[in-house]
Amino acid sequence: MAAQPKRGGVSLPERGSASKPESSILARITSSPIVSRGKQAASDAAFVSKKLIHSTGKAAWIAGTTFLILVVPLIIEMDREQQFNELELQQASLLGAPPTAPAVALLVESI
Amino acid sequence: MAGLVPPGIPAVPADVSHTAHTKHDEKTDYMNLPCPIPYEELHREALMSLKPETFEGLRFDFTKGLNQKFSLSHSVIMGPTEIPSQSAETIKIPTAHYEFGANFIDPNLMLIGRVMTDGRLNARVKCDLTDNLTVKANAQLTNEPHMSHGMFNFDYKGKDFRSQFQMGNGALFGANYIQSVTPHFSLGGEVFWAGQHRKSGIGYAARYETDKMVATGQVANTGIVALSYVQKVSDKVSLASDFMYNYLSKDVTASVGYDYILRQCRLRGKIDSNGCTTSYLEERLNMGLNFILSAEIDHRKKDYKFGFGLTVG
Repeated sequence: MAAQPKRGGVSLPERGSASKPESSILARITSSPIVSRGKQAASDAAFVSKKLIHSTGKAAWIAGTTFLILVVPLIIEMDREQQFNELELQQASLLGAPPTAPAVALLVESI
Repeated sequence: MAGLVPPGIPAVPADVSHTAHTKHDEKTDYMNLPCPIPYEELHREALMSLKPETFEGLRFDFTKGLNQKFSLSHSVIMGPTEIPSQSAETIKIPTAHYEFGANFIDPNLMLIGRVMTDGRLNARVKCDLTDNLTVKANAQLTNEPHMSHGMFNFDYKGKDFRSQFQMGNGALFGANYIQSVTPHFSLGGEVFWAGQHRKSGIGYAARYETDKMVATGQVANTGIVALSYVQKVSDKVSLASDFMYNYLSKDVTASVGYDYILRQCRLRGKIDSNGCTTSYLEERLNMGLNFILSAEIDHRKKDYKFGFGLTVG
Protein backbone atom coordinates (compact mmCIF):
# COMPACT_ATOMS: atom_id res chain seq x y z
CA MET A 1 0.00 0.00 0.00
CA ALA A 2 2.96 2.33 -0.49
CA ALA A 3 2.59 5.19 -2.95
CA GLN A 4 1.97 3.62 -6.38
CA PRO A 5 1.51 5.39 -9.72
CA LYS A 6 -2.18 5.83 -10.39
CA ARG A 7 -3.38 3.43 -13.05
CA GLY A 8 -7.03 4.04 -13.37
CA GLY A 9 -9.41 6.71 -12.21
CA VAL A 10 -9.92 5.21 -8.83
CA SER A 11 -7.33 4.04 -6.37
CA LEU A 12 -7.31 3.49 -2.72
CA PRO A 13 -6.20 6.40 -0.57
CA GLU A 14 -2.63 6.73 0.61
CA ARG A 15 -1.74 5.41 4.01
CA GLY A 16 0.56 6.88 6.60
CA SER A 17 3.06 4.77 8.44
CA ALA A 18 1.81 2.70 11.38
CA SER A 19 1.77 4.54 14.70
CA LYS A 20 4.34 3.67 17.41
CA PRO A 21 3.31 0.77 19.78
CA GLU A 22 2.48 1.83 23.39
CA SER A 23 3.14 0.00 26.61
CA SER A 24 -0.37 -1.06 27.92
CA ILE A 25 -1.82 -4.42 26.79
CA LEU A 26 -4.93 -2.91 25.24
CA ALA A 27 -2.92 -0.33 23.36
CA ARG A 28 -0.54 -3.10 22.24
CA ILE A 29 -3.46 -5.16 20.98
CA THR A 30 -5.10 -2.30 19.16
CA SER A 31 -1.84 -1.25 17.53
CA SER A 32 -0.71 -4.77 16.64
CA PRO A 33 -0.24 -5.51 12.97
CA ILE A 34 -3.26 -7.78 12.72
CA VAL A 35 -5.64 -5.17 14.06
CA SER A 36 -4.17 -2.39 11.98
CA ARG A 37 -4.38 -4.60 8.91
CA GLY A 38 -7.96 -5.30 9.75
CA LYS A 39 -8.69 -1.59 10.11
CA GLN A 40 -7.07 -0.87 6.77
CA ALA A 41 -9.05 -3.63 5.13
CA ALA A 42 -12.27 -2.33 6.62
CA SER A 43 -11.68 1.21 5.40
CA ASP A 44 -10.71 -0.09 1.97
CA ALA A 45 -13.88 -2.12 1.84
CA ALA A 46 -15.92 0.90 2.89
CA PHE A 47 -14.32 3.06 0.20
CA VAL A 48 -14.81 0.48 -2.52
CA SER A 49 -18.37 -0.23 -1.56
CA LYS A 50 -19.14 3.49 -1.52
CA LYS A 51 -17.82 3.82 -5.05
CA LEU A 52 -19.75 0.74 -6.08
CA ILE A 53 -22.96 2.07 -4.63
CA HIS A 54 -22.45 5.37 -6.42
CA SER A 55 -21.83 3.77 -9.78
CA THR A 56 -24.66 1.31 -9.31
CA GLY A 57 -26.86 4.25 -8.46
CA LYS A 58 -25.80 6.10 -11.57
CA ALA A 59 -26.34 3.04 -13.72
CA ALA A 60 -29.71 2.43 -12.16
CA TRP A 61 -30.71 6.03 -12.81
CA ILE A 62 -29.70 5.87 -16.45
CA ALA A 63 -31.36 2.51 -16.94
CA GLY A 64 -34.48 3.64 -15.13
CA THR A 65 -35.00 6.86 -17.04
CA THR A 66 -34.22 5.18 -20.35
CA PHE A 67 -36.72 2.45 -19.54
CA LEU A 68 -39.27 5.09 -18.62
CA ILE A 69 -38.85 6.92 -21.88
CA LEU A 70 -38.58 3.96 -24.22
CA VAL A 71 -40.63 1.17 -22.77
CA VAL A 72 -43.40 2.59 -20.60
CA PRO A 73 -45.30 4.37 -23.41
CA LEU A 74 -45.00 1.20 -25.44
CA ILE A 75 -46.55 -0.91 -22.70
CA ILE A 76 -49.33 1.59 -22.21
CA GLU A 77 -50.12 1.79 -25.89
CA MET A 78 -50.03 -1.94 -26.42
CA ASP A 79 -52.37 -2.39 -23.51
CA ARG A 80 -54.77 0.15 -24.97
CA GLU A 81 -54.61 -1.57 -28.33
CA GLN A 82 -55.44 -4.87 -26.70
CA GLN A 83 -58.36 -3.33 -24.83
CA PHE A 84 -59.59 -1.76 -28.04
CA ASN A 85 -59.39 -5.12 -29.81
CA GLU A 86 -61.29 -6.83 -27.05
CA LEU A 87 -63.97 -4.17 -27.12
CA GLU A 88 -64.29 -4.60 -30.85
CA LEU A 89 -64.57 -8.36 -30.51
CA GLN A 90 -67.22 -7.92 -27.84
CA GLN A 91 -69.19 -5.50 -29.95
CA ALA A 92 -68.92 -7.78 -32.94
CA SER A 93 -70.19 -10.76 -31.01
CA LEU A 94 -72.89 -8.66 -29.35
CA LEU A 95 -74.43 -7.77 -32.66
CA GLY A 96 -75.00 -11.45 -33.31
CA ALA A 97 -72.59 -13.92 -34.75
CA PRO A 98 -71.43 -14.05 -37.46
CA PRO A 99 -71.67 -10.50 -38.69
CA THR A 100 -71.09 -10.04 -42.39
CA ALA A 101 -67.73 -8.69 -43.40
CA PRO A 102 -68.90 -5.30 -44.70
CA ALA A 103 -70.97 -4.78 -41.55
CA VAL A 104 -67.95 -5.44 -39.39
CA ALA A 105 -65.92 -3.05 -41.50
CA LEU A 106 -68.57 -0.38 -41.07
CA LEU A 107 -68.62 -1.00 -37.35
CA VAL A 108 -64.87 -0.66 -37.16
CA GLU A 109 -65.05 2.59 -39.12
CA SER A 110 -67.63 4.05 -36.84
CA ILE A 111 -65.75 3.34 -33.62
CA MET B 1 -26.72 13.66 -43.73
CA ALA B 2 -27.30 17.37 -43.50
CA GLY B 3 -23.93 18.06 -45.03
CA LEU B 4 -24.63 16.13 -48.19
CA VAL B 5 -26.05 18.29 -50.89
CA PRO B 6 -27.11 16.33 -53.92
CA PRO B 7 -24.68 17.20 -56.63
CA GLY B 8 -24.86 16.57 -60.31
CA ILE B 9 -23.30 13.82 -62.27
CA PRO B 10 -22.44 13.90 -65.87
CA ALA B 11 -20.25 10.81 -66.06
CA VAL B 12 -21.75 8.23 -63.75
CA PRO B 13 -24.90 7.35 -65.74
CA ALA B 14 -22.91 5.78 -68.54
CA ASP B 15 -21.19 3.39 -66.14
CA VAL B 16 -24.26 2.43 -64.18
CA SER B 17 -26.50 1.81 -67.15
CA HIS B 18 -24.11 -0.82 -68.44
CA THR B 19 -24.89 -2.97 -65.46
CA ALA B 20 -28.53 -3.28 -66.52
CA HIS B 21 -28.29 -6.38 -68.70
CA THR B 22 -29.97 -6.53 -72.02
CA LYS B 23 -30.27 -10.30 -72.14
CA HIS B 24 -33.60 -11.67 -71.01
CA ASP B 25 -33.46 -13.50 -67.69
CA GLU B 26 -36.18 -15.96 -66.82
CA LYS B 27 -36.64 -14.85 -63.25
CA THR B 28 -36.16 -11.11 -63.52
CA ASP B 29 -37.01 -9.09 -66.55
CA TYR B 30 -34.28 -6.52 -66.70
CA MET B 31 -36.20 -4.51 -69.23
CA ASN B 32 -39.05 -3.87 -66.85
CA LEU B 33 -37.44 -2.80 -63.64
CA PRO B 34 -39.42 -0.66 -61.26
CA CYS B 35 -38.64 3.01 -60.90
CA PRO B 36 -36.38 3.64 -57.94
CA ILE B 37 -37.23 6.10 -55.22
CA PRO B 38 -35.72 9.58 -55.42
CA TYR B 39 -32.12 9.92 -54.36
CA GLU B 40 -32.80 12.19 -51.43
CA GLU B 41 -35.32 9.74 -50.07
CA LEU B 42 -32.86 6.89 -50.03
CA HIS B 43 -32.84 6.64 -46.27
CA ARG B 44 -36.53 7.38 -46.04
CA GLU B 45 -37.59 4.43 -43.92
CA ALA B 46 -34.71 4.77 -41.51
CA LEU B 47 -35.22 8.51 -41.20
CA MET B 48 -38.91 8.13 -40.55
CA SER B 49 -38.33 5.60 -37.82
CA LEU B 50 -35.21 6.96 -36.21
CA LYS B 51 -35.49 10.70 -36.57
CA PRO B 52 -38.85 11.98 -35.55
CA GLU B 53 -39.11 15.74 -35.15
CA THR B 54 -38.58 16.00 -31.44
CA PHE B 55 -39.14 19.40 -29.98
CA GLU B 56 -39.14 21.11 -26.65
CA GLY B 57 -42.03 23.06 -25.27
CA LEU B 58 -45.48 23.48 -26.67
CA ARG B 59 -46.52 23.03 -30.25
CA PHE B 60 -49.96 23.67 -31.55
CA ASP B 61 -50.90 23.22 -35.21
CA PHE B 62 -54.21 24.00 -36.69
CA THR B 63 -54.92 23.28 -40.34
CA LYS B 64 -58.14 24.38 -41.89
CA GLY B 65 -59.13 23.39 -45.37
CA LEU B 66 -61.02 26.06 -47.19
CA ASN B 67 -61.35 24.15 -50.39
CA GLN B 68 -60.44 20.78 -51.73
CA LYS B 69 -57.10 22.13 -52.81
CA PHE B 70 -56.43 25.09 -50.59
CA SER B 71 -55.80 25.13 -46.86
CA LEU B 72 -54.50 27.49 -44.26
CA SER B 73 -52.49 26.57 -41.24
CA HIS B 74 -51.82 28.31 -37.97
CA SER B 75 -49.09 27.21 -35.65
CA VAL B 76 -47.95 28.32 -32.22
CA ILE B 77 -44.59 27.20 -30.92
CA MET B 78 -43.34 28.13 -27.48
CA GLY B 79 -40.34 26.77 -25.74
CA PRO B 80 -36.64 27.02 -25.21
CA THR B 81 -34.52 27.03 -28.32
CA GLU B 82 -30.94 25.93 -28.26
CA ILE B 83 -28.25 28.34 -29.31
CA PRO B 84 -25.10 26.67 -30.63
CA SER B 85 -22.33 27.59 -28.24
CA GLN B 86 -18.63 26.85 -28.26
CA SER B 87 -18.47 25.71 -24.67
CA ALA B 88 -19.80 22.39 -23.46
CA GLU B 89 -22.81 24.08 -21.89
CA THR B 90 -26.00 24.18 -23.90
CA ILE B 91 -27.55 27.60 -23.89
CA LYS B 92 -31.30 27.73 -24.21
CA ILE B 93 -33.31 30.83 -24.79
CA PRO B 94 -37.08 30.77 -24.45
CA THR B 95 -38.77 31.81 -27.64
CA ALA B 96 -42.32 31.87 -28.80
CA HIS B 97 -43.65 32.44 -32.25
CA TYR B 98 -46.66 32.08 -34.41
CA GLU B 99 -46.49 30.75 -37.92
CA PHE B 100 -49.08 31.24 -40.60
CA GLY B 101 -49.10 29.09 -43.66
CA ALA B 102 -51.04 28.45 -46.81
CA ASN B 103 -51.02 25.31 -48.91
CA PHE B 104 -52.32 24.79 -52.38
CA ILE B 105 -52.23 21.17 -53.44
CA ASP B 106 -53.13 20.10 -56.93
CA PRO B 107 -52.10 16.88 -58.66
CA ASN B 108 -49.70 18.83 -60.83
CA LEU B 109 -48.83 21.82 -58.73
CA MET B 110 -48.08 22.18 -55.08
CA LEU B 111 -47.45 25.51 -53.38
CA ILE B 112 -46.60 25.79 -49.73
CA GLY B 113 -45.78 28.98 -47.90
CA ARG B 114 -45.07 29.70 -44.28
CA VAL B 115 -44.35 32.98 -42.58
CA MET B 116 -43.31 33.40 -38.96
CA THR B 117 -43.52 36.25 -36.52
CA ASP B 118 -39.76 36.52 -36.36
CA GLY B 119 -39.70 37.47 -39.99
CA ARG B 120 -38.79 34.19 -41.61
CA LEU B 121 -40.49 33.17 -44.82
CA ASN B 122 -40.41 29.67 -46.16
CA ALA B 123 -41.79 28.80 -49.59
CA ARG B 124 -41.88 25.57 -51.55
CA VAL B 125 -43.10 24.98 -55.04
CA LYS B 126 -43.40 21.67 -56.81
CA CYS B 127 -44.64 21.57 -60.35
CA ASP B 128 -45.06 18.54 -62.63
CA LEU B 129 -44.37 19.96 -66.04
CA THR B 130 -44.89 16.68 -67.82
CA ASP B 131 -45.27 13.12 -66.64
CA ASN B 132 -41.55 12.75 -66.27
CA LEU B 133 -40.22 16.20 -65.58
CA THR B 134 -40.73 17.93 -62.25
CA VAL B 135 -39.49 21.28 -61.09
CA LYS B 136 -39.12 22.02 -57.41
CA ALA B 137 -38.11 25.24 -55.76
CA ASN B 138 -37.40 25.98 -52.14
CA ALA B 139 -36.70 29.35 -50.60
CA GLN B 140 -36.00 30.51 -47.06
CA LEU B 141 -35.82 34.22 -46.46
CA THR B 142 -34.80 35.77 -43.18
CA ASN B 143 -34.22 39.20 -41.81
CA GLU B 144 -30.56 38.57 -41.16
CA PRO B 145 -28.35 39.39 -44.10
CA HIS B 146 -26.66 36.53 -45.94
CA MET B 147 -28.80 33.95 -44.25
CA SER B 148 -31.42 33.57 -46.95
CA HIS B 149 -31.13 30.82 -49.44
CA GLY B 150 -33.03 29.26 -52.25
CA MET B 151 -32.70 26.19 -54.38
CA PHE B 152 -34.13 24.91 -57.63
CA ASN B 153 -34.39 21.21 -58.48
CA PHE B 154 -35.13 19.72 -61.86
CA ASP B 155 -36.11 16.07 -61.70
CA TYR B 156 -36.35 13.75 -64.61
CA LYS B 157 -37.92 10.37 -64.10
CA GLY B 158 -37.12 7.68 -66.61
CA LYS B 159 -38.43 4.14 -66.85
CA ASP B 160 -36.05 2.69 -64.30
CA PHE B 161 -33.94 5.63 -63.32
CA ARG B 162 -34.24 9.06 -61.83
CA SER B 163 -31.96 12.00 -62.28
CA GLN B 164 -31.97 15.37 -60.65
CA PHE B 165 -30.15 18.62 -61.17
CA GLN B 166 -29.95 21.26 -58.44
CA MET B 167 -29.04 24.90 -58.46
CA GLY B 168 -28.86 26.96 -55.33
CA ASN B 169 -27.76 30.42 -54.36
CA GLY B 170 -24.13 30.86 -53.49
CA ALA B 171 -23.24 29.06 -56.73
CA LEU B 172 -24.33 25.70 -55.44
CA PHE B 173 -24.72 23.10 -58.15
CA GLY B 174 -25.50 19.48 -57.77
CA ALA B 175 -26.83 16.51 -59.63
CA ASN B 176 -27.66 12.99 -58.74
CA TYR B 177 -28.73 9.85 -60.50
CA ILE B 178 -30.20 6.61 -59.31
CA GLN B 179 -30.84 3.48 -61.35
CA SER B 180 -32.64 0.24 -60.64
CA VAL B 181 -30.26 -2.61 -61.25
CA THR B 182 -32.47 -5.49 -60.21
CA PRO B 183 -36.08 -5.38 -59.00
CA HIS B 184 -34.81 -5.04 -55.45
CA PHE B 185 -31.49 -3.28 -55.78
CA SER B 186 -30.70 0.22 -56.97
CA LEU B 187 -27.49 2.16 -57.21
CA GLY B 188 -26.94 5.84 -57.45
CA GLY B 189 -24.38 8.56 -57.32
CA GLU B 190 -24.20 12.26 -56.73
CA VAL B 191 -21.84 15.11 -57.40
CA PHE B 192 -21.96 18.63 -56.04
CA TRP B 193 -20.02 21.81 -56.28
CA ALA B 194 -20.32 24.69 -53.83
CA GLY B 195 -18.88 27.80 -55.36
CA GLN B 196 -18.93 29.98 -52.31
CA HIS B 197 -16.87 27.61 -50.22
CA ARG B 198 -14.95 26.23 -53.18
CA LYS B 199 -15.86 22.69 -52.25
CA SER B 200 -16.90 19.80 -54.38
CA GLY B 201 -17.83 16.30 -53.58
CA ILE B 202 -18.93 13.02 -54.98
CA GLY B 203 -20.93 10.30 -53.35
CA TYR B 204 -22.39 6.89 -54.06
CA ALA B 205 -25.40 5.18 -52.68
CA ALA B 206 -26.98 1.76 -52.82
CA ARG B 207 -30.35 0.53 -51.70
CA TYR B 208 -31.65 -2.99 -51.38
CA GLU B 209 -35.25 -3.46 -50.50
CA THR B 210 -37.63 -6.37 -50.22
CA ASP B 211 -41.06 -6.60 -48.69
CA LYS B 212 -39.64 -7.19 -45.29
CA MET B 213 -36.52 -5.10 -45.11
CA VAL B 214 -34.68 -2.16 -46.54
CA ALA B 215 -30.92 -1.78 -46.41
CA THR B 216 -29.18 1.32 -47.65
CA GLY B 217 -25.62 2.51 -47.75
CA GLN B 218 -24.12 5.82 -48.71
CA VAL B 219 -20.53 6.97 -49.04
CA ALA B 220 -19.35 10.47 -49.81
CA ASN B 221 -15.95 12.03 -50.20
CA THR B 222 -16.84 14.53 -47.48
CA GLY B 223 -15.97 11.60 -45.26
CA ILE B 224 -19.39 10.29 -44.40
CA VAL B 225 -20.28 6.64 -44.53
CA ALA B 226 -23.88 5.96 -43.61
CA LEU B 227 -25.52 2.55 -43.44
CA SER B 228 -29.02 1.79 -42.35
CA TYR B 229 -31.21 -1.25 -42.02
CA VAL B 230 -34.93 -1.37 -41.45
CA GLN B 231 -36.78 -4.60 -40.81
CA LYS B 232 -40.53 -4.71 -41.00
CA VAL B 233 -41.34 -7.22 -38.32
CA SER B 234 -45.08 -7.05 -38.89
CA ASP B 235 -47.40 -4.54 -40.48
CA LYS B 236 -47.56 -2.65 -37.21
CA VAL B 237 -43.98 -2.83 -36.05
CA SER B 238 -40.72 -2.04 -37.69
CA LEU B 239 -37.25 -1.94 -36.23
CA ALA B 240 -34.52 0.24 -37.62
CA SER B 241 -30.85 0.72 -37.05
CA ASP B 242 -28.44 3.25 -38.40
CA PHE B 243 -24.69 3.60 -38.47
CA MET B 244 -22.87 6.74 -39.41
CA TYR B 245 -19.13 7.08 -39.59
CA ASN B 246 -17.10 10.08 -40.62
CA TYR B 247 -13.69 8.84 -41.65
CA LEU B 248 -12.20 12.31 -41.75
CA SER B 249 -13.20 13.42 -38.31
CA LYS B 250 -13.38 9.89 -36.83
CA ASP B 251 -16.86 10.41 -35.54
CA VAL B 252 -19.07 7.38 -35.07
CA THR B 253 -22.74 7.19 -34.23
CA ALA B 254 -24.95 4.14 -34.13
CA SER B 255 -28.58 4.09 -33.23
CA VAL B 256 -31.32 1.53 -32.86
CA GLY B 257 -34.99 2.27 -32.78
CA TYR B 258 -38.49 0.95 -33.14
CA ASP B 259 -41.60 2.24 -34.83
CA TYR B 260 -44.98 1.01 -33.73
CA ILE B 261 -47.90 2.05 -35.88
CA LEU B 262 -51.02 1.09 -34.01
CA ARG B 263 -54.53 2.08 -34.79
CA GLN B 264 -54.81 4.89 -32.33
CA CYS B 265 -51.24 6.01 -32.13
CA ARG B 266 -47.77 5.96 -33.56
CA LEU B 267 -44.87 5.47 -31.21
CA ARG B 268 -41.24 5.83 -32.18
CA GLY B 269 -38.36 5.23 -29.83
CA LYS B 270 -34.65 5.28 -30.37
CA ILE B 271 -31.46 4.87 -28.43
CA ASP B 272 -28.13 6.17 -29.57
CA SER B 273 -24.48 5.46 -28.99
CA ASN B 274 -24.03 9.06 -27.84
CA GLY B 275 -26.09 8.19 -24.80
CA CYS B 276 -29.19 9.86 -26.17
CA THR B 277 -32.65 8.29 -26.13
CA THR B 278 -35.68 9.81 -27.75
CA SER B 279 -39.29 8.88 -27.91
CA TYR B 280 -42.10 10.38 -29.94
CA LEU B 281 -45.75 9.55 -29.51
CA GLU B 282 -48.60 10.72 -31.71
CA GLU B 283 -51.94 9.70 -30.33
CA ARG B 284 -55.23 10.14 -32.06
CA LEU B 285 -57.65 11.49 -29.55
CA ASN B 286 -60.47 12.06 -31.92
CA MET B 287 -61.08 12.44 -35.62
CA GLY B 288 -58.56 14.99 -36.82
CA LEU B 289 -57.20 15.64 -33.33
CA ASN B 290 -53.74 14.35 -32.57
CA PHE B 291 -51.87 14.65 -29.34
CA ILE B 292 -48.08 14.66 -29.56
CA LEU B 293 -45.56 13.90 -26.84
CA SER B 294 -41.87 14.15 -27.44
CA ALA B 295 -39.03 13.26 -25.09
CA GLU B 296 -35.32 13.41 -25.57
CA ILE B 297 -32.82 12.56 -22.88
CA ASP B 298 -29.11 13.01 -23.39
CA HIS B 299 -27.34 11.27 -20.53
CA ARG B 300 -23.90 12.43 -21.50
CA LYS B 301 -24.63 16.13 -21.76
CA LYS B 302 -27.37 15.96 -19.14
CA ASP B 303 -29.76 17.71 -21.50
CA TYR B 304 -33.44 16.86 -21.13
CA LYS B 305 -36.05 18.00 -23.59
CA PHE B 306 -39.72 17.29 -23.26
CA GLY B 307 -42.46 18.64 -25.39
CA PHE B 308 -46.12 18.24 -25.93
CA GLY B 309 -48.42 19.42 -28.62
CA LEU B 310 -51.72 19.21 -30.32
CA THR B 311 -52.42 18.94 -34.01
CA VAL B 312 -55.85 19.75 -35.30
CA GLY B 313 -56.83 18.99 -38.84
